[in-house]
Amino acid sequence: MDINSYHVFFFLFLHSLTILKADTSIREPINLELLLARTGEGYLTSFPEECSTILNRFADASSNFTKCSILHARPIRICSRCIEQYMQFKTIYDELLTTIVNGTSCKSIFISHDRLDAVLEYHDNILSIWDKGHCNTCFNWSDKVPVLSNETKLFNEKFNETMACIMKYIDPSTNDTQPVCENCMQSYIQLDNYYKTLSDDAIGVDSICMDVVDSMNATRSIWSKTLNCCKIRRTPEIIFLCCTGIISALPIFYYLVLRYFSPMRDLPNVLKQSRFKQTILRSLGRTN
Amino acid sequence: MSHSSTSGLDGTVSSISNVETTSDTAQLINTEDASTSNYTQLNKSVNFEDSDDEEFHGSHGVRRRQAQQKIEPGSMNVLSAKYESLDYDTCENHLLLDEERKRGYPFVVWKDIARWFIILLIGIATALIAFTIDICIEEFSKIKYRELKKSVDKYVVQDRLYIPYLLWVLSNICIVFIGSMLVAYVEPVAAGSGIPQVKCYLNGLKVPRVVRFKTLVVKTVGVITAVVGGLAGGKEGPMIHSGAVVAAGISQGKSTTFNKDFKVFQYFREDHEKRDFVSAGAAAGVSAAFGAPIGGVLFSLEEGTSFWNQALTWRTFFGTVVSTFTLNCALSAYHGRPGELSYPGLLNLGKMEPFPFQFYELPVFMFFGAVGGLLGALWNHINYRLTVFRIKYIGSPWLRVVEACLVAAASATCGFLMMFLLNDCRPLGEDPTKVPLQLFCADGEYNALAAIWFQTPEASVRSFLHDPIGSYKPWSLLAFVISYFLLSSWTFGLSVSSGLFIPNLLTGAAWGRLLAIMIQYMLPSNTINPAKYALVGAAAQLGGVVRMTISLTVIIIETTGQISNALPIIITLVVAKWVGDFFNEGIYDIHIQLAAVPLLPWEPPPLAHNIYASEVMSHPVFTLRTVENVGHIVELLKLVSYNGFPVVDPPLADDVEVTTYKRLRGLILRSQLIVLIQNKIYNENANTTWSNFNVDMNMFRKEYPRFPSIDELNLADWEKTCTIDLRPFMNPSPYTLPHRASLPRMFRLFRALGLRHLPIVNDVNEVVGMVTRKDIARYRVWRHRGHMGMEELILSSEI
Repeated sequence: MDINSYHVFFFLFLHSLTILKADTSIREPINLELLLARTGEGYLTSFPEECSTILNRFADASSNFTKCSILHARPIRICSRCIEQYMQFKTIYDELLTTIVNGTSCKSIFISHDRLDAVLEYHDNILSIWDKGHCNTCFNWSDKVPVLSNETKLFNEKFNETMACIMKYIDPSTNDTQPVCENCMQSYIQLDNYYKTLSDDAIGVDSICMDVVDSMNATRSIWSKTLNCCKIRRTPEIIFLCCTGIISALPIFYYLVLRYFSPMRDLPNVLKQSRFKQTILRSLGRTN
Repeated sequence: MSHSSTSGLDGTVSSISNVETTSDTAQLINTEDASTSNYTQLNKSVNFEDSDDEEFHGSHGVRRRQAQQKIEPGSMNVLSAKYESLDYDTCENHLLLDEERKRGYPFVVWKDIARWFIILLIGIATALIAFTIDICIEEFSKIKYRELKKSVDKYVVQDRLYIPYLLWVLSNICIVFIGSMLVAYVEPVAAGSGIPQVKCYLNGLKVPRVVRFKTLVVKTVGVITAVVGGLAGGKEGPMIHSGAVVAAGISQGKSTTFNKDFKVFQYFREDHEKRDFVSAGAAAGVSAAFGAPIGGVLFSLEEGTSFWNQALTWRTFFGTVVSTFTLNCALSAYHGRPGELSYPGLLNLGKMEPFPFQFYELPVFMFFGAVGGLLGALWNHINYRLTVFRIKYIGSPWLRVVEACLVAAASATCGFLMMFLLNDCRPLGEDPTKVPLQLFCADGEYNALAAIWFQTPEASVRSFLHDPIGSYKPWSLLAFVISYFLLSSWTFGLSVSSGLFIPNLLTGAAWGRLLAIMIQYMLPSNTINPAKYALVGAAAQLGGVVRMTISLTVIIIETTGQISNALPIIITLVVAKWVGDFFNEGIYDIHIQLAAVPLLPWEPPPLAHNIYASEVMSHPVFTLRTVENVGHIVELLKLVSYNGFPVVDPPLADDVEVTTYKRLRGLILRSQLIVLIQNKIYNENANTTWSNFNVDMNMFRKEYPRFPSIDELNLADWEKTCTIDLRPFMNPSPYTLPHRASLPRMFRLFRALGLRHLPIVNDVNEVVGMVTRKDIARYRVWRHRGHMGMEELILSSEI
């Protein structure tokens, strides 16, 4: 250890201090700059004009999409009806991210400054609604403008057909749903089978667009609950019950047979242990 | 009276066949006092006239068994004379000293490194076996249930549901048949979970064939068939056994099954080293099964290993971590996400949210523990009765195979009837379901019970833990709890290799969820978290059956990834254990006792200081002289099945008439004697046959662990007159105790040092008796229903 190494330590110590400080000192100038740059409402100068405009448009697009999605929440048509609003919203957001005015990006003004971070938060909410519904899978994204994919179109076709059929044959005056069931069975089964081919997952929650899933759920519910066209499934199954009866009785028989007819094995013998006491007793007995 | 045992150094064969002796040293052939030995060969003509009246009223508050001559099968108060102890004590003979002199510290360091390397290999190999088992079960189950679903979907609309049902029954039977045949005919010791067997092995008992390669193969195939075959069994218990076998195999560097010696790790070929590796292997098995490295170490400590030290803990922990890591890598790669490491164990309960609990909930957890203890005790009792029935009436292997097949059929029946009768429909898509079976539900819905039955039990446990509260109707849950409780109790003990962890977790999770629903009905204003109660219920049920506390807590914490759940779980488990212990023993102990295994518990019996060595010991001892005649040795080895013989001074020639006991010089084992005779290490041919033959420890290690029996040795007549000097080979300083030592003292010495033979000496160091494991283990304490006592068990060589 010589003086030099102490110098080194000292330097390292100071240096780490400056690093620690740096964390705060990097923030300060920006805040200061912003403060200087704003006027009114506590700020000194206003934002760059462009950024304010973009923010304005972004707010409009978000509210448009929100409105649209709320209006189309039941039955779910968010994906197909709100695609325009969604595209608009997305483009403006990209613009917001990329626009740079006089070396200051709009992003740095609006995003990630405070705990609330309202802009980003609203953006993420809207995105999460869209992604949760797998809405992207409804569309064909190969062109610039997304169009409904062929699968979705085909499904909608079949769906409309089935619904039209049901509407046609249903007779609200009577409770008899038999004609509906008979006449629309064909189209319903086609629709059901087509839906099943859409995903390789057994329950279709993985990838199918929510509009399609919801349409199918609604149809199925109408079909089997409102119209009660699934009665065919409930059958007596006499043979089945007999089989279960026989098979569950088998083990009982087996045990009973074993219990009363199996050959009794020889019981194990107890080993005589050799202990000190016995030897003494024995030798006593012998000497007596 | 003529005297025989002191026929001098030349000790001819004729001299030992003398009769009528006052000597208290046992004679080989004893015509009158037939009952001087533990062994049936000796006392074929036992007369019970001198049935010791005194033994009926215990002199020390010890409840003695009636001197009955036959044992009722299924009795828990018997010890089998067939079980041998392992030799943990180092034999400090001249050969060992020679070896140590040659080797020095580099060898010690090398051995330590080798130990770590072996542990690494054990961890990896165990994880790979776990991986194989898991993948096979997953893939085969997927195929099976997919086909069954297709069949159900097809026939349900045709009113021919019996076709898929019979298909299910048939597939179950076929798959279980394979596994059951393997277990029943190839390797019966692979039946069940294997935890009792491993526990016995680690306690220092030689359980035949328990750590062989064949057992491992049967176990692996057996557990796959059992789970795929739809039995109510798990794959976690067998993993522990597999880990133990892997450890025993790798550490020895040779396989007797393949007759292959890799010429490595010879220095680990002794019971002591092997035992340490096996305990590490069992821990690695737990850790692979549950993804719980710390739980594995604690399991090994709590349930398995009877001998433990710090260095071993550290090594074991290394093994468990390696095992979890390897399994994680392999499974992640298999599931298409290499490097993600999100599959730490076979049983993954899924990440649980930390559940907040209030003070007033602690009594609720205690209540759950009590329910778990009661149900666990009931489970154990049912299983005990079934096991006794099986011992009594289901003897032959093919009857056992038929039984296993019937249980498989009954399991399928149970599942199908429940789906059929309870129409519990759930809309698709809300819960993750692999095989949603519609059955009688409306379109777009699936049968909730079918979802439970049409997947592996682990996945069902996950569903019960994580599904929202409305997922199952109370009635379906109740039906499921009852049927699965009975099925799992019926399944454990069949001739298939499957464990009881998963079935009990499943039952417990189901009734925990049921109770949660009931609480929700009673307190509609509160929101009840069903996951919390399902988890606590699962822990309580399993704890009530196996009666583990700390290791189970840690395993559950590690599988759910939540440390904050520790308090509710430990409270539940402790209450479950206490309540269960009030009624009966844990399931493993029940099975160990039914197998009549002389297991030494942790503590000696309390209030037993007034039982002395002179009562405990086996009295007439078969001794050998320091220089012994070969014929005598062979005769002795053929006649008795003892494994250790005190080596004594030859008596002085002039006190032939008075001598009774002889002074102890050392202790020699049967295996050593056999090796000596096999290699013809006689005094007479010292200069011819083995003058240039290297007599060292490797001579003994070569035969380990399966020494030939004495009947396999061919001896020429001339050899019988030769003599062997036992002094260089015997253990010159065996642990001994004076005859006035108390039972707890003997017990502690025996237990702590893992002894096999404990000669009892008198004041002048003369052998008066011999204490072995069975002599001590026959004093057993029971404590149930608020009472406690000690009883003396009887021995039998026919169990």
